[in-house]
Amino acid sequence: MTGRMPGQPRYADIAVGRTWPPRTVVPSTVQLFLFSAATGNPHRIHYDRTYAVEVEGHRDLVVHGPLMSALLAATLADWLGPAARLVRISLQNRASAYVDRPLRIEAAVTGKREDAGRKLIDLDVSVSRDDGVVCVPGTAVVRLPG
Amino acid sequence: MTTHAMVPPEARAMVGQQVGRTRGVVRRAEFQRWAAAVGDLNPVYFDADQARAHGYRDVVMPPLFLRCMGRAVAALTDLRPDGTVRDHEVAEVPLNCTQRMAGGETTEFHRPLYPGDTVTVVTTLTGITEKAGRSGPFVLVTWKVDYLDQHGALVAETVRSMIAK
Repeated sequence: MTGRMPGQPRYADIAVGRTWPPRTVVPSTVQLFLFSAATGNPHRIHYDRTYAVEVEGHRDLVVHGPLMSALLAATLADWLGPAARLVRISLQNRASAYVDRPLRIEAAVTGKREDAGRKLIDLDVSVSRDDGVVCVPGTAVVRLPG
Repeated sequence: MTTHAMVPPEARAMVGQQVGRTRGVVRRAEFQRWAAAVGDLNPVYFDADQARAHGYRDVVMPPLFLRCMGRAVAALTDLRPDGTVRDHEVAEVPLNCTQRMAGGETTEFHRPLYPGDTVTVVTTLTGITEKAGRSGPFVLVTWKVDYLDQHGALVAETVRSMIAK
């Protein structure tokens, strides 16, 4: 017996229109540093505040776009359980986000379908700043156990 | 025509061309370090028994780690003053623009990747389109990225865009 974990949502459990309480994440300077290191990204806007503000005109250290995407995917995986598989993700980079400020991660189920025996759910997803600006809007398709 | 076309002919000539081909090996410690930096301690990335209990054959690479695959290691002398890497992996599109911003990215994942898998990253420049925006003209550049495993099978594919002004 594998894959029947308590708390693992199944396809039948997820209704169209389903949402989750928004998840708040506050990326710290240390997290930005670690993400730069883990991705081999030496761009100074992520760790050199003086440079980010005075040279590139940002209001503070900039959260990496790919970190926002990763936080979103991690949150989806958390909500949909370890047996869920990300099939497709489509994200736009609309606005910058800055260190030490809350990011709000949201998802809503917009559809359910079976495709070649795979049980798929469609979602609208987003990462927003605390002033309401949507930084990363997008969609995702996740396969769930039946 | 303006004297400084945003899209010079040498940029247009690149459309349809393969502009990058790199290879990388999926390394457990590298994707775990990435997942830890994200704060994502999903057991399927860290614990092989847990991963197997959920239908994987080993710890699995986080899907969004994919864009880190095939990245070259940059020497300090390869960095611009802003820290960014002079890109040797994917040929830069020569545009007469001062600002380049990430647009969007859509990825389809065809199979999970595991430690030891080899991934070849093939990037093709698919389009350069001049557009009229509310705050002036801009250029939309699009790429298709194919990720192939050690057997030549397509494991994932990405469409990526950039906006330049």
